[in-house]
Amino acid sequence: MDRTVLFFAAALLLLLAGCASAPKQPTATSAMPADIPQAEMPVLSGGVIVEPEPGPAMSGNRAVIALLDRAQLDNAAGQREAAGASLERALRIEPRNAWLWHELAQLRLTQGQYAQAITLARKSNSFAGRERRVQAMNWKVIANARVAQGDSAGAEQAFKTATELEQAAQTGAMPAF
Amino acid sequence: MKLPVLPWNISLPAFLRSHGKALRVTALLLLLALSGYIFYLDVTIREAFEGRKFALPARVYGRALEVYPGLRLTPAQFVDELRTVGYRENPEPNEAGTYKHTMNGLEFSTREFVFGDGPQAAQRLRIEFAEGAVALLQERGTTDTDLPLVRIEPPLIGGIYPGHNEDRALLKLDQVPKPLIDALVSIEDRKFYSHWGIDPRGIARALYKTVTGQRIEGGSTITQQLVKNFFLTSERTLTRKGTEVLMAMLLELHYGKDEILETYLNEIFLGQDATRAIHGFGLASHFYFDRPLDRLELQEIATLVGMVKGPAVYDPRKSPDLTLQRRNIVLQEMVRLSAITQAQFVEARQKPLGVIHRAPTGTSPYPAFLQYVHRQLQRDYREEDLRSEGLRIFTTLDPRVQRQAEEALTLRLAEIEKARRMPAKTLEGAVVVSSTQNGEIQALVGGREARYAGYNRAIDAQRPIGSLAKPIVFLTALEAPDRYTLITPLDDSALVLRQAGTSDWKPQNYDHQFHGQVPLHTALAHSYNVSTARLGIDLGVDNILDKLPLYGIERRPPSYASSLLGAFELSPIEVAQLYQTFADNGFRTPLRAIREIVTADGQPLQRYPLNVEPVAPAAPVYLLTSALQGVVSAGTAKSLGNWVPAEVKVAGKTGTTDDLRDSWFAGYTGDRVAVVWVGRDDNKPSGLTGASGAMTVWGEMMKNIQPEPLEPAMPEDVELVNVDPVTGLRYIEECRTGVPMPFIKGSAPTEVSGCAFASAETGHAGDDPAVGAEVKPEVKPGIKQEPEKSWLQRIFD
Repeated sequence: MDRTVLFFAAALLLLLAGCASAPKQPTATSAMPADIPQAEMPVLSGGVIVEPEPGPAMSGNRAVIALLDRAQLDNAAGQREAAGASLERALRIEPRNAWLWHELAQLRLTQGQYAQAITLARKSNSFAGRERRVQAMNWKVIANARVAQGDSAGAEQAFKTATELEQAAQTGAMPAF
Repeated sequence: MKLPVLPWNISLPAFLRSHGKALRVTALLLLLALSGYIFYLDVTIREAFEGRKFALPARVYGRALEVYPGLRLTPAQFVDELRTVGYRENPEPNEAGTYKHTMNGLEFSTREFVFGDGPQAAQRLRIEFAEGAVALLQERGTTDTDLPLVRIEPPLIGGIYPGHNEDRALLKLDQVPKPLIDALVSIEDRKFYSHWGIDPRGIARALYKTVTGQRIEGGSTITQQLVKNFFLTSERTLTRKGTEVLMAMLLELHYGKDEILETYLNEIFLGQDATRAIHGFGLASHFYFDRPLDRLELQEIATLVGMVKGPAVYDPRKSPDLTLQRRNIVLQEMVRLSAITQAQFVEARQKPLGVIHRAPTGTSPYPAFLQYVHRQLQRDYREEDLRSEGLRIFTTLDPRVQRQAEEALTLRLAEIEKARRMPAKTLEGAVVVSSTQNGEIQALVGGREARYAGYNRAIDAQRPIGSLAKPIVFLTALEAPDRYTLITPLDDSALVLRQAGTSDWKPQNYDHQFHGQVPLHTALAHSYNVSTARLGIDLGVDNILDKLPLYGIERRPPSYASSLLGAFELSPIEVAQLYQTFADNGFRTPLRAIREIVTADGQPLQRYPLNVEPVAPAAPVYLLTSALQGVVSAGTAKSLGNWVPAEVKVAGKTGTTDDLRDSWFAGYTGDRVAVVWVGRDDNKPSGLTGASGAMTVWGEMMKNIQPEPLEPAMPEDVELVNVDPVTGLRYIEECRTGVPMPFIKGSAPTEVSGCAFASAETGHAGDDPAVGAEVKPEVKPGIKQEPEKSWLQRIFD
């Protein structure tokens, strides 16, 4: 089973449920496989992955949703390049959609392009406004990319920010930076 | 080899007896030499044939239009798009590539097409519009189904062709209309399908007529003509003819009639366009009629076939009468051989030539863009692969934006010349338009004659950029919020700079005045040279210039303070790269013209994915954008408001160089970055400032593109603070006055002014992030303005 699907599923569940266990703090970089985000595993029921619905929150545009679906299918099939092409098509329609930039960051992380993953997550954040959830997810991408890059201190900091943002997203409060 | 001379005094049998052996050896040698020669010819002609046969040009496509409900698009614009990709109107729009108008929109049928991410089947569709946008998108069927998204086939915008400036649009034999083949065989080689490369009787007849002095006749078969075309000399000697005959027979030995005919149809020389040779009927059809071959009418086909005899003589543009006569001879032959009916003949013969007056020149309607694509490809591919492997190249060109850019440049340059009584064609210009968030080049115009390949000013013209360089200085300042904010007073008094290795430098302002103390954003809005120079010297010339590579400018200008005022040269596309970073919140995205490359059989070969690099922190860039919006709302580019409404909140900068040689404007909206240069190729003064030249082209273009407003998201470390622009003091919110200005948190003035002028009716602008970068104009009339402070009025009125 493709681990990326699991992560996507997990990420979306996290988004939909609005609650999840706090991500594990990386204790030792060696313990973390390079390209596997340390996110929660998805709920399995009867051996079937609980498919998250493509979040309507990601875009109000059905064309964008269709392209996101296609990107996720391609990604699930291991077609990373094709997934990237579909995400770029979606971004041409909604170039300032923080969720789409986040998806692209996530994809680059899966592809092992850590520097790009970090930059794209930052770019997503620049469009995120006060959307704490997407910010939290971006910080997780940054954290996992830093883990892969061997920057454990930076990763820890990023995980911490992600957690604070998640809490802020739940309570509606502003996190203190 | 020398033949032995026959001695006349001995009888032949005696000669043979005495010299028999030598003769046999000689004959054998001759035979060997001949077969060696034939072998050589065989190899040569096969190489030529195979080379031609398999050389597939790279095909270059523009961007595919993505259509979806909600897309801003009018029916007229959509029809334009369809026509760009060759759709035609048809009352029954069920055939691929046809459309018809309906009450609220169109019905149309797409063609099947292999995109970079796989094939897409043909679809029968319906589209409806409401209020300037797509309202409905459906697949027509027994039950209609709504679709979220449809991708129209991309326009073919050019090719990269094999050979030495030989241009052709390759055709398969089954794409060639039957009447063309009939006409060709009728007039050029009636026995084509039965002879074996040569027509002995034809040659004999030609020889006879030539010898008897009647007239010189070709007598060449289609196969012979093909051989002749491969080696492109028209010299007429007997050895030449002999070689040609041999090669023709060899060709027939190796290849079938259809292969030979297909190659002939693609190979035959049909005209000359400056340095470009027009080869084959596929391209000739576009060159003379601006239509694909399968859409030509009978008489048009006959015209092309008639030209085979001599495209220089029967040139429909230069000698229409002669060409018309020749065309009618072809038609005559066709009817004589019953290839067409008498009725068809009579109808076709009455029609005019119908050749388009001016040929579309170059291999592309967008030669400047194509040249840029070609250069990018040359970095990654071998030239011969580009010219022969049949690669399919998907690019970013947006025909709609390109057309607006071309039209704006042509229109405005002509208007300026007229208004200023300059001789026509004095001015030249270039335009680059890219997409803000992904760096895709949507339009590239290399000169006012956009159809004609030539000097590509957009990428090759290196011109001093003048004040376009100033934002680099101001961004560097704003990156030090403890020292500089938008309202920090700058010193705009006379400056003399002594630098080693150069003469004293005394920068002047455009109005030849000094302005004393001016707030930082005003210095930028009015493009004051002296205060900018002082600011740059204060920050360190090298500190500033060293940052250029971050913004994608690879060449380092000289370390002189004058470089801060743009005394160094860049091409318009380099300037676009520079401003891309400002427009994209400090993220640098390398400009891209190519999205992906696919092999001839549809396999993905290479993608050029989006790449983003953070090169400047978001907060100072946000402040810079705000100041550049001030340039447009109240500074040197204020008259841009004549073209683009204030709500778009364009950020931009004018650039003017010494003696008014170069006129620049670089600016960005919510979705596009565009750079315009206007000047003269001979580098003489154009008499134009950035605002009177380039900016008007920019405005004219953007007016028609309908840009999205520029409303950058305010970074978390930026806050809006109401300040008194006169004193630079802060107003507390309760005062409900002052001007909201963005500050990096912690850098806003702390000294609070009393609510002295609070009674006036202004200043409700508060903490709404939506108005973030927009410096709200409302200045209450009640504020007392000292003359030297009147910059406030100039900015905010």
